[in-house]
Amino acid sequence: MSNPLSDMELPDVAFCIGTNMTEAHPVAATRLKKALARGSKLIVADPRRIHLATLADLYLPLRVGTDVALLQGMAHVIVRDGLMNDHFVATRTQHLETYLEHIAKFTPEWAESICEVPAADIAKAARWYAEANQGAIYYTLGITEHICGVDNVQCLCNLALLTGQIGRPGTGLNPMRGQNNIQGAGDSGAIPDQYPGFQAVVDPDYRRKFSKAYGREMDAAKGITKVTAMEEAGRDIFAMLIDGENSVVSDPNQQHTREAIESLEHLVVIDIFLSETAEMADVVFPATAWAETDGTFTNTERRIQRVRQAVTPAGEARPDWWIISRIAQHMGLQNFDFNHPREVFNEMCSLSTTYAGVDWDLAATGRYHWPVPYRGHPGTPRLHEDSFPIGRGKFSLIEYRDPAETVDETYPIWLTTGRRLATYHTNTQTGRAGGMDYLAAEEALEVNPRDLEAWDLQDGETVWLSSRRGRIAIKVAGSKRSPMGTVFSSFSFSDTPINTLTGSGYDPVTHTAELKVCTVRIDKMAVADTVGG
Amino acid sequence: MTAAFEKTRTICGYCGVGCTVDVLTRDNRIIGIQPAMDGPANEGALCVKGQFAYDYVHHPDRLRHPMVRNADGVLERATWKQALRKAAAGFLQSAERHGRHAVYGIASGRTPTEADYMMQRFMRAGFGTHFIDNCSRA
Repeated sequence: MSNPLSDMELPDVAFCIGTNMTEAHPVAATRLKKALARGSKLIVADPRRIHLATLADLYLPLRVGTDVALLQGMAHVIVRDGLMNDHFVATRTQHLETYLEHIAKFTPEWAESICEVPAADIAKAARWYAEANQGAIYYTLGITEHICGVDNVQCLCNLALLTGQIGRPGTGLNPMRGQNNIQGAGDSGAIPDQYPGFQAVVDPDYRRKFSKAYGREMDAAKGITKVTAMEEAGRDIFAMLIDGENSVVSDPNQQHTREAIESLEHLVVIDIFLSETAEMADVVFPATAWAETDGTFTNTERRIQRVRQAVTPAGEARPDWWIISRIAQHMGLQNFDFNHPREVFNEMCSLSTTYAGVDWDLAATGRYHWPVPYRGHPGTPRLHEDSFPIGRGKFSLIEYRDPAETVDETYPIWLTTGRRLATYHTNTQTGRAGGMDYLAAEEALEVNPRDLEAWDLQDGETVWLSSRRGRIAIKVAGSKRSPMGTVFSSFSFSDTPINTLTGSGYDPVTHTAELKVCTVRIDKMAVADTVGG
Repeated sequence: MTAAFEKTRTICGYCGVGCTVDVLTRDNRIIGIQPAMDGPANEGALCVKGQFAYDYVHHPDRLRHPMVRNADGVLERATWKQALRKAAAGFLQSAERHGRHAVYGIASGRTPTEADYMMQRFMRAGFGTHFIDNCSRA
């Protein structure tokens, strides 16, 4: 997030797109509700009529995967109606002229023809956002899990640049991170193109710095993404170390993932349960769970916070960092003799630019939002106040692209996926928590009640749900959250493995899978399928 | 029966909001979770998962010891020494056979940062490659 969570109470117009915040980030949603209680306006764009949509002053029910059309339509209106922040674009942006030419063709009527949101509502949303004193954008994986995820984000950036709704309290571009420490995972350099602190691996200076620090010559070229590594498994990739990820259930195109992992010579998995992925490993290590270990998490507002051990680990479980460092030592690697998470964290800070000003003890205060570039720096709750990392903000020229799959006669229904309040991810944890199991014991495919009738289905009936990649059995449940022609399931239940069906395409830049859109077919079960089990 | 309990200040382990909580423990078991009123992200609020979904920590399904696949293809209990040796030998062997770009590491968005840092350090210092990623692309 460009702005801190506390800023969520400030905007007079909040624009939420592709974020089911009340279920996936409930506490963040409480802060937004405080703004609404004060009279702030809420615009919600989401294909599903989620709870947040019922709180909205303006709900934009776009067709799945058409965010670019909606957002370009809004940008067009801002330019057309003279709602631009002239001072901001003059002093903080570049390439405006080219962008203005580019945006001219994206009329709200054109947008309506694609995203199915009335042009008048697109114009109204644009006007509200642009005219707000403090307008803020919030988004989640509904924006990024598309073949055009980067395009979607850049369209949002364009809106913020046009209106100057960035760099001030209660504004900004605010992605809500889905996992407790997904921010920390990126910050720590566990990505193929950047060292800790987002120092590019292709930069010769950083290459020298880390080659020296780690005592061996580093590759000059970027690594490959996880998606590519799975594709190359058995061909170029032969061994994997997977820490705490149930790839077989969480990744798209499940059959493909399973085959990729099976084709490895050597798989080592570190986890707290024998997950579906761990069951396929050659070696499994028991990791400490949450509340069993000391360390740090960095949250969605880039706040570095300490986590603390409250109970002794189960059995012989050990911290992940300890296990990995000991594998390294058994390979004969030097300088892996870490004995406390403090040593690990402090080494990272010493090599990072964003964490350079903190250490283990300062992290314990929970006061620091990175970047903290030097000791004594107070941290940066709000990004881009005076300038952008590249100086002036750059407008991006984006064209609309259809999702990787569009409905046709064979697969006439849109499928979109996401999270639910009472389950988390692949349910390895919430599925083993008594009360949660009571709240959400099983998955059901949300289908618009009129579609149920049209497709001759009974509420609660088990059907076959198929895509080009596979077929699963799943119950249907009538729900007005689903628009007609679009169905929804979470990915939390391994007995309804929805990711058998997903994986139609990937963003060409980030390799993020289009988990939010694929096309499917529903078939009634033959009697033999239901009786025979 | 009101045996004393202990409180440990920490951060919730579910979504990325990062709510501050106090874990209540007695006899080395978690007996409750309370939102911290002074938690900067949550200011006293907490969701149903954060407050109640902690049973899994003490669940009988937890992995309690290392496991190694035996000659019959079955995962069986192993000592740390056996498991670490086998894990290390397998990586060395694959790198020897197919080159250092044959090994790949996947870090987690659920573990503390120290685990993620160690994973990338393992790949970079161990193989000189950037063959490392995390689950944010899932």
